[in-house]
Amino acid sequence: MASATSANLNAVRETMDVLLEISRLLNTGLDMESLSICVRLCEQGINPEALSAVIKELRKASESLKVQQQQHTKCHFK
Amino acid sequence: MYTLPQCACALSLFCFGRQTRGGNVSKLIKCISGMEDEEDQNFQLALKFTWSNFRFHRFLDVDSHKVERSISGIYEKLMVHSDLRKVWGITLAFLAHQTENDPLSKFTSTHVLSMLFSLSGSPSNNDFTERPRIKEAEAEDCFDWAKYLMEGEDIDNGLYPDTPVWSEDESEDDDSQRPISREDSGIQLDRTPPEDQDNTNKTVPVTWTVGEPGARAWLEQHVVTPYWVTHSPRFPHSLHLHSNLLNVWDQHLYNTDPLYLPEEKAFVTETQVIRETLWLFSGVKKHFIFQQHDGKVSVRNDVVVTHLTSNCLRSVLEYIAVYGQAVFRLQRFIDEVTGCSSEPCPPGSLSSHNSKKGSEPPFRTYQAFVWALNKYFTSFKEELTTIERELICNDETMTLSAVLERLGPHLSQIKVLHKVFCTGVADVPPATPNVVRASHLLNTLYKAIIEYDSVGEASEQAVALLFSLWTETVRPYLEIVDEWIVHGHLFDPAKEFIIQRNKDVPVNHRDFWYATYTLYSVSETVESEEKLNDSASGSSGGDQSSSSRQLTMVSFLKPVLKQIIMAGKSMQLLRNLHCTEAESSEKSSRDAERKDLYTLFLESVQSRLRSQETSPTNTVTDDQATRRSLIKMQSIVAQHLEMENVHDPLLAINFARLYLEQSDFQERFSGGDFIVDRSSQSVTCQTFELTLRSCLYPHIERRYIECCGNLMKTLKKDYKLLEYLQAMRNYFLLEAGDAMYDFYTAIFNKVQEKESWQQPSFLNVQLQEAVGQRYPEDSNRLSVFLENMDPSRKKHPVNNLEVLTLSYKVPWPVDIVISSECQKIYNQVFLLLLQIKWAKYSLDTLRFSGEKLQEAPAEDVKLKEPVHQQIHRMCLLRVKLMHFVNSLHNYIMTRILHSTGLEFQHQVQEAKDLDQLIKIHYRYLATIHDRCLLREKVSFVKEAIMKVLNLVLIFSDRWQAGFGAWKIESIDKMESDFKNCHMFLVTILNKAVCRGSFPHLESLALSLMAGFEQC
Repeated sequence: MASATSANLNAVRETMDVLLEISRLLNTGLDMESLSICVRLCEQGINPEALSAVIKELRKASESLKVQQQQHTKCHFK
Repeated sequence: MYTLPQCACALSLFCFGRQTRGGNVSKLIKCISGMEDEEDQNFQLALKFTWSNFRFHRFLDVDSHKVERSISGIYEKLMVHSDLRKVWGITLAFLAHQTENDPLSKFTSTHVLSMLFSLSGSPSNNDFTERPRIKEAEAEDCFDWAKYLMEGEDIDNGLYPDTPVWSEDESEDDDSQRPISREDSGIQLDRTPPEDQDNTNKTVPVTWTVGEPGARAWLEQHVVTPYWVTHSPRFPHSLHLHSNLLNVWDQHLYNTDPLYLPEEKAFVTETQVIRETLWLFSGVKKHFIFQQHDGKVSVRNDVVVTHLTSNCLRSVLEYIAVYGQAVFRLQRFIDEVTGCSSEPCPPGSLSSHNSKKGSEPPFRTYQAFVWALNKYFTSFKEELTTIERELICNDETMTLSAVLERLGPHLSQIKVLHKVFCTGVADVPPATPNVVRASHLLNTLYKAIIEYDSVGEASEQAVALLFSLWTETVRPYLEIVDEWIVHGHLFDPAKEFIIQRNKDVPVNHRDFWYATYTLYSVSETVESEEKLNDSASGSSGGDQSSSSRQLTMVSFLKPVLKQIIMAGKSMQLLRNLHCTEAESSEKSSRDAERKDLYTLFLESVQSRLRSQETSPTNTVTDDQATRRSLIKMQSIVAQHLEMENVHDPLLAINFARLYLEQSDFQERFSGGDFIVDRSSQSVTCQTFELTLRSCLYPHIERRYIECCGNLMKTLKKDYKLLEYLQAMRNYFLLEAGDAMYDFYTAIFNKVQEKESWQQPSFLNVQLQEAVGQRYPEDSNRLSVFLENMDPSRKKHPVNNLEVLTLSYKVPWPVDIVISSECQKIYNQVFLLLLQIKWAKYSLDTLRFSGEKLQEAPAEDVKLKEPVHQQIHRMCLLRVKLMHFVNSLHNYIMTRILHSTGLEFQHQVQEAKDLDQLIKIHYRYLATIHDRCLLREKVSFVKEAIMKVLNLVLIFSDRWQAGFGAWKIESIDKMESDFKNCHMFLVTILNKAVCRGSFPHLESLALSLMAGFEQC
């Protein structure tokens, strides 16, 4: 029983490695953690295209937020 | 339309999922945006946004086909971009997607892949930056390369471990002071030919600096891995099976043979093997693959290439080494002869090079041979350099076998050369005199040409090569011959010519003609020198000796050797005759315009070729057209010439090809190789000899005729040769009858008067008086000597005359013809004639004294009858004797001396050279001697004649004594003696005449017989 679970675990790990390699080849910018989250969400039925659109938007937003924060701190120091 | 249970199920799922999803979504936001605080306003906004997007989106459900399509699309795109690593990854993904035992469900994996694809920008769109370069680029500013190169010290190997060549150099060259020893480390500019290796480091500027992008590439291209260093780094090579045959084979051996022990090996590439091969052929002495030990080239044992088994490589290399050794041997010979100078000069200017053996004169035949060899090697090296240049350019694939194929004709030529060299030069023992060496070499070449020529088509190149070699090598010989037959001066300081001058005989000596020159011949079987003195057989020594044993002097000169000797000797004699006359200035001016024999020979060969070239079809400039027209023209000319029967056009074309090797003809026949279908019959076998016959021999022949003609003319005209010959006949053969009559009758009278005549003063006075009146110019040349007689022969009165010796002083150069030996023969004939004349004279002068006849009957009547009988018998005997003596006299004076003399005069007029003249003269003398029965073999006939002559003298003596003194017995004895001798002679002569072997004796035999029958 235990060996079966460990075998399954290995298979999952392999699959995840392959997926990570593919994502790296495709320049998606996802790391292992975010990739596993994405996989879980996909398993849960979230539309993958929607998911990717959200990720892109979040990146964009966080990017602009960082810029704003930097400007703000600069102003503050001034 | 959903059914109710379905809806319920979905609802419950949704409610459960919402909780877990909520956790995942927050995690996702944290991951992507990096916000940690969930209470943050922005976080909440993001969460709301995410959820709304998840719930209310405009996207269709995932289509697995679409995903597969995009996978294959990306695969293709990456293939186009040759991004092989990515292709491999995508393939893997695809495979993973396809497999059934994926832990994720097919559904999920499709979703995940779809998500990844939509998330990715363009997979092939990335800027290429080469990662390993980054390190070097960082280092460029902080290192002073100039200083590094100048000092040559403190090399930090650790910093740049990825430049292996450099680190190798420095570890090796620690002892040398040079910063980078390019020569030794194997760094060399590839464009230089191998001979110039030494100069490489001077001439090649180092045009690169590290850090420039091209630098490393430059190094990799231009620097050869030092494969000759033990444990040198292995060069990179492909792992393909074909290029690893050695390993495979080794593995096989290792597996099958339990005792197999792999050895240490030095790996080289095929290119390196090719280059070493080329260097070996071009005469470089130090190699890695090939090793030389005292003249032997061997192949290194442990050299291997990766794509061949070591045995295979070895067999190829050993094949090369054989040729390499031949090249090496020939090269060494060239160096030896030229005195180790690297570049031999043409034969004319060679003397300056022989500083090493300055005392010895240069051996010109070898030098000429070396010059020809060197010419060949120059062209061979050009070919090698071309191949190497192509190899360096790397434009096309070159394999060892291709190179060998290309060098094939050259290699076979080298083989031929080496063979000729071995038999012609190397096998000759060191102490052999030059004349033997030279003639042996020339003979070897000559024989080789004929030998290869008989093979026909197969060895055309060899024949062409050998022919050019031969023409070069024969040059000194022809020059010597030329010098000799034109100037009469045998200039041969190295003693290499087959004929040599004997120094101790001056030209104006009477032995000059016979003893001046020595002809050397090399016996084929013994290979030792045979010295044939010319005097033995005159200048015909060559002919005579060749019949007895097979001699190979210099075979090509053999047919004209006699002419050369004759012309040479004649010329020298002529020169000496002329030196008194002032003709030299005129001669020297003519000499400047004259072409020497060698030039004439070459020109003749050229003109042989030109005979075909004059045809208008050959003037086409185009190379191809020339070749075509040549073949066409050849057939035309062939027909044309066949009718005229002039010469063979094939012959001419063959010689065109033979002479392609010569540079003069290169321009004319730029095509190089003519395709001429040669008939199978080997015309060329005679071709070579025909060339000589038509191109060389006529010049010598012409010169011979000219020289000898001049000599004969000079001798006859200026030196009165014919007059002297006539004088000999006049005095010795008594043709000057009146003068000689005075001389010998004076002697005979003295004898009859019983006075002593054997006084030199008396004889000489008589002779001078007799000759001086009629031939004043000869009177002081003639003299008479008296010799001491052999006492055993003194018993007969007729032998008394044999003490006389007539002598005629013949001046130089006529004494070459009329030698003292000749005079001896003349003298013998002279004595015989004198004896006959004496007998005839004593018979003729007998007189009947009338008183005695009348007194006798008065004294004694009884005796009257027998006295009358006696007188009658004496008279009869006298007439018989007179008949005999007159017959003999007539026979000798008219039948023998006169007619033979006429023949002789005729032959003398036609004699071409001095030798022939001498021979004619000798033959003439021999004939006279023979016909006057003076030969030893017929001495019994002479004895009989002498007996009769003696009888005549006794008879006349008795007659003089008066009738009273006669005794009947003595008359009887005289009659019987005469009868015996007469009968004997008649029998002998009749036998000889009947045999028909002596037709000239016929008249004598007839007249004697007539006299005999009447008695």
